Amino acid sequence: MNEATLQRLFGWRQAFDHAPVVWLVAGVFAVLVLGSLLVAALAACGRLSPATRIELRRRLLSWWVLAPLMVGPVLLGAAWVFGAVLLLSLACYREFARATGLFREHFTSALVVAGILVVTFTVVDHWYDLFLAVLPLGVVAIAGLAVLADRPRGYVQRTALAVFAFAFFGFGFGHLAYFANDDRFRSLILFVLIAVELNDVFAYLSGRLFGRRKLVPQTSPNKTWGGALGALVLTTAFVALVGPYVFDDRPAGAGLRPLLFGVLIAVAGQLGDLVLSSIKRDVGIKDFAATIPGHGGLLDRFDSLVLVAPAAFHFLGFEHGIGLDSLPRILSGG
Amino acid sequence: MDPWQLRPARDHGMPLRERLASTRREPGLGEVLLQRSTGMLLSGYLRAAHRLRIHGAEQLPSQPPFVMIANHSSHLDALSLAAALPWRLRHVFFETPAKSLLASWLLNALPMQRRGPVRHALGDLRARLLEDHCGLVLFPEGTRSANGVLQPFKSGLGMLVAGTDVPVVPCWVQGAFAAWPRQARLPRPGPVQVEIGAPLRFAEVADDRDGWQYVVRQAEQAVASLAVHTADAPP
Repeated sequence: MNEATLQRLFGWRQAFDHAPVVWLVAGVFAVLVLGSLLVAALAACGRLSPATRIELRRRLLSWWVLAPLMVGPVLLGAAWVFGAVLLLSLACYREFARATGLFREHFTSALVVAGILVVTFTVVDHWYDLFLAVLPLGVVAIAGLAVLADRPRGYVQRTALAVFAFAFFGFGFGHLAYFANDDRFRSLILFVLIAVELNDVFAYLSGRLFGRRKLVPQTSPNKTWGGALGALVLTTAFVALVGPYVFDDRPAGAGLRPLLFGVLIAVAGQLGDLVLSSIKRDVGIKDFAATIPGHGGLLDRFDSLVLVAPAAFHFLGFEHGIGLDSLPRILSGG
Repeated sequence: MDPWQLRPARDHGMPLRERLASTRREPGLGEVLLQRSTGMLLSGYLRAAHRLRIHGAEQLPSQPPFVMIANHSSHLDALSLAAALPWRLRHVFFETPAKSLLASWLLNALPMQRRGPVRHALGDLRARLLEDHCGLVLFPEGTRSANGVLQPFKSGLGMLVAGTDVPVVPCWVQGAFAAWPRQARLPRPGPVQVEIGAPLRFAEVADDRDGWQYVVRQAEQAVASLAVHTADAPP
C-alpha cells in the first residue's frame, strides 16, 4: 500500500482539494437552507394545509440528518465510503428480505450476506476483474449451494429472490462504493448522489405543478407523466450544465456526453423508484420499514439509486476506467 | 417449514420496542445467529456449573408444532429446556413474562402480559402454532413458584391446544429451584436435571371452558407425575 492509497482511504485533510467538491457540498447545504426557508415562508403565509406542513417538515428534518450522513463518509475518505455502502447494502437487503419473506430462509439469506461481503472485499481491494466476476459467480454460488437445503418446494422463488437481492443490493450498490477507488471519487460520488436526489425532488415538484396523466397508476398512483418528463428535462439540464465542470478532463465530460448522462440518471432513477414500488405492491406493503420519518425505510429513500449506481458507473468508466490511476489490488497484491 | 410464500414478516413496519413486545415477532438471520451463539454459551454454562442432564429426549416430537410445558421455579428452567432441544427443533418461542430485550434475543421469548387482552394474544399464538409450525415452551403456572412446589395451572394452555393436534410434552426441571430460587439474585452451582415425558394429545377435546379445564387437569397430572418419578430416581 503506497502513500497515495492511504491518502485515498483515510485522507480527510484532502477532502476539499478538488474545487468541484467544495461547490457540490456548498450546493447541498444551500439547497437545504433554501428549502427550509421556503417551507417556513409558505407556512407563515398560510399557503400550506396543516397536513402538508407537517409532512414537509418531517421530510426536511430527515434530509438534515441524511445529507450529512451521505456527504460525511465521502469527505472523510474512501474507507468510510466502503463502510457506509456495506451498511447500506446489508440494511437494504434486510428490508427487502423482511418484505418478501426471504428472511425466513436463513441459509439462503446467509448466502446473500456472504455475497455482499465478497463484493465489499473486491471493492476495497480494488480488484476490478474479480469485482465484475462477482455477479455471475454469485449467481452460480447461490443457485448451486441453495440445493443443499434439500427442499425443492419453493426453490425457484427462494433462489430467484436471493439472486435479485444480490444483484441489486450487493453488486448494484457495490458500484457506488467502487467509485471510491478513483483518485477524484469525492466529486464523482457527490455528483451522482446529488443528481439522483435532485431528480426525485424535480419529479415531486413538477408532478405537483403539471401532473395530470398518470404514468403507471397500478404501480404507483402518485406518479404522473408531468412529473416524469419535468424531472427528465430538469435533471438533464442540471447534469449537462454541471457535468463538464465536475468531470473536467474525463472523456465523459466532453461533447454531448454530459447530456446523455443526465438522461441516463433521470430515466434509471425513476425506473428504480418504480421497481421498488412494484415490489411493494406485489407483496402488499406501503413502506419497506419505518426507519426514516417521512420517507419510510432506507429502501424507500434509496430506491432510485438501485439502478443508477451500476448505470452511472459504467457510463463514466466506459472510455476511461474508474480508478485506473490508482494502485490496484491493495490487499491481495497482484 | 412449509411451502414458500411471498409474505412480509408478521411484524412488518413495527417500531423496535413494539416489535420486541409482540407475539407477531419473527426473527431473521441476525437474530438467529445471535440466539445460536448465546445458546451455545448457555448450554456450556449449564453443563459446567449445573451438570445438566436430560432424560427422555427421545419423547420429543420429531417435527414442530409442539408445546413443551414444565414447572417453573427458577430462571434456569427456560435455559435448561432450551438446552434440551436439538437445533432442528429450536424454532421455538418461550412464553414468559419477560419483556426485556435480553430475553427476546437470547431465548426468542414472547411476552405474555399477565393483564390485558390475554384471549387475543392466545388466539394469535394458537394461529402461529398451526400456521408457522413452530414450537412453544410455556410455564402453565404463570409465574415462578416462591417455594419450589408446583402451583395450580392456569387455563391458557387449554385455550391454546384444545381441539388441535398439537402434542403437549410435559417436562419436569429438578434442581433449578435449589440452584437459583426466586429470592436469590444470582445462581449457585448445583445439579439440574430435565425429565421429558410422553406427549399428550387433545385433538378430541372440545375448545370450550370444560375442554380447557380437562386439558389443564391432564397436563398438571402429567407434570406432577414426572416430579415423583425424578425425585425417586437414584441421583
